[in-house]
Amino acid sequence: MAIIEIENLTYRYPHTSQPALRDLSLQIEPGEFVAIVGANGAGKSTLCYTLTGFVPHFFQGELSGRVHVAGLETKEHPLEDIVLVSGLVFQNPFNQISGAKFTVYDEIAFGLENLGVPREDMPARIERAMALTGITAMAERSPYALSGGQQQRVALASMLVMEPQVLVLDEPTSQLDPLGSREVFAVIRELSREGMTVVMAEHKLEWVAQFADRVLVLADGQLVLSGPPAEVLTSPLLETYHIGQTRYTTVARRLQAENGWPAGQPLPVTLEEAEAGFKAALIK
Amino acid sequence: MQDKLSFYIHRDSPLHRLNPLTKLTLTFSLILMGFLAPGYWTATFIFLVVLLPFSVWGKISPEFTRTTFRLILPLTLFLFGMQSLFYPGGKTVLFSFWIFSVKLEGVQFAYLTASRIMNMVGSFLLLLLSTHPSTLMTALTQRGLPPSLTYIIVSTLQILPQMRNKANTIIDAQRSRGLETQGSLRRRFGALLPLVGPLVFGSLVDVEERAIALEARAFKAKRIKTSLLLIPDSPAQSGFRLGLIALTMLAIGSRLWF
Repeated sequence: MAIIEIENLTYRYPHTSQPALRDLSLQIEPGEFVAIVGANGAGKSTLCYTLTGFVPHFFQGELSGRVHVAGLETKEHPLEDIVLVSGLVFQNPFNQISGAKFTVYDEIAFGLENLGVPREDMPARIERAMALTGITAMAERSPYALSGGQQQRVALASMLVMEPQVLVLDEPTSQLDPLGSREVFAVIRELSREGMTVVMAEHKLEWVAQFADRVLVLADGQLVLSGPPAEVLTSPLLETYHIGQTRYTTVARRLQAENGWPAGQPLPVTLEEAEAGFKAALIK
Repeated sequence: MQDKLSFYIHRDSPLHRLNPLTKLTLTFSLILMGFLAPGYWTATFIFLVVLLPFSVWGKISPEFTRTTFRLILPLTLFLFGMQSLFYPGGKTVLFSFWIFSVKLEGVQFAYLTASRIMNMVGSFLLLLLSTHPSTLMTALTQRGLPPSLTYIIVSTLQILPQMRNKANTIIDAQRSRGLETQGSLRRRFGALLPLVGPLVFGSLVDVEERAIALEARAFKAKRIKTSLLLIPDSPAQSGFRLGLIALTMLAIGSRLWF
């Protein structure tokens, strides 16, 4: 049974005339890693907010259709119930630090305190979340004394400690440097390997290709493509939707145009696929 | 770069281990007694006999005395200057120079006011130097203070310095684009909008994102919140707090009835 089911979702923000999401339907299975790509304004963030209940409960607006996340119909359950099953991490790591706590350890405990988790149960959950995100050594540091990548891992740990069934990430590395991005993606990859259902809106297509089981392409609020990364990220339609392609695909396409790419060899989206293709080309 | 607004100094002392509510009750009791209890020397007595020894007990006496005097010295100088020269009820001239005469009643009034202010500042400092803001707010929340109010107070201590840093970044960015921020008043005023605009709009976005982050951490969940922090209390401390409240009532009563 799908852990996320969306049927005919249309959503319009308050005081706007155009819907941000139009007649969108999709299903996501438990343990799946689904990436959402699209140009700016395509509806990626809105979809992330929908999957975590912020649409419609925080942003209000008009929502039609059905959104079912981890057994909860999001329109019919309050936000405080939805956030327990679907955790959100978004772009700006600084704004995800609550400001209410002075150490990383206490910051991660913040969600558990709000949930009324007994004190004696907290340390084990906090330590597990810190271990998952590789921040155990930072436990006594101020969250504001950390780098962007470290803060984003604290934000991740703060979600994971609440033990959601779905983790939704809205461009979690957009404001991070390459090292910070690598740290965050490493954690997300590990979570996915452990069976967490991950939905991630992301512009960095190389990472998407490497980790995602499936890629959804949004354009103008609609779901226009869905499929495995190798299929979606090499689709010629991506240009129509103002979405780029991976570096590997770009190089392979140029070679293909000059008959330098082996016939029958699929266009690569990952480094390994590119390596295999170039080796085949050299042998040829 | 200061990363938070807080006076707290970490020490291993009995004062630090007191329940924050005990210290809070002591703070307000001493302030009220300093202002309301009879006697010209009451506030001075409280400072010397209560606050200073407590600061020694808390291993914070150098910081306590230094900060107290640093905070009240400008005000005290101003008070003595103005009151000694211009106090309305002043009759007894201590000494004169040029057209001014320093009067005893003004000096006495200035000292009384200064000692009460010093008592008030010292009482708050004793609390703030020995109590982590997070601990204080947790104790208050556990006694019924709304979590939203607690959050506003505690988060301000951390977020305000970050906002200040952000403002400095915006100023530098605008300067690098040629904005003149120094010079005549008119020029400075003209530089205000390009500085204030990004800061205000950026802050509004930040507020929304932080609100989302808080919701995502179940901050508004209608559940009884627990605390990772265990704040010890004891019947002795509870009795001490009641005793302080009784003393304070006595001080207020003595003011009203005598």
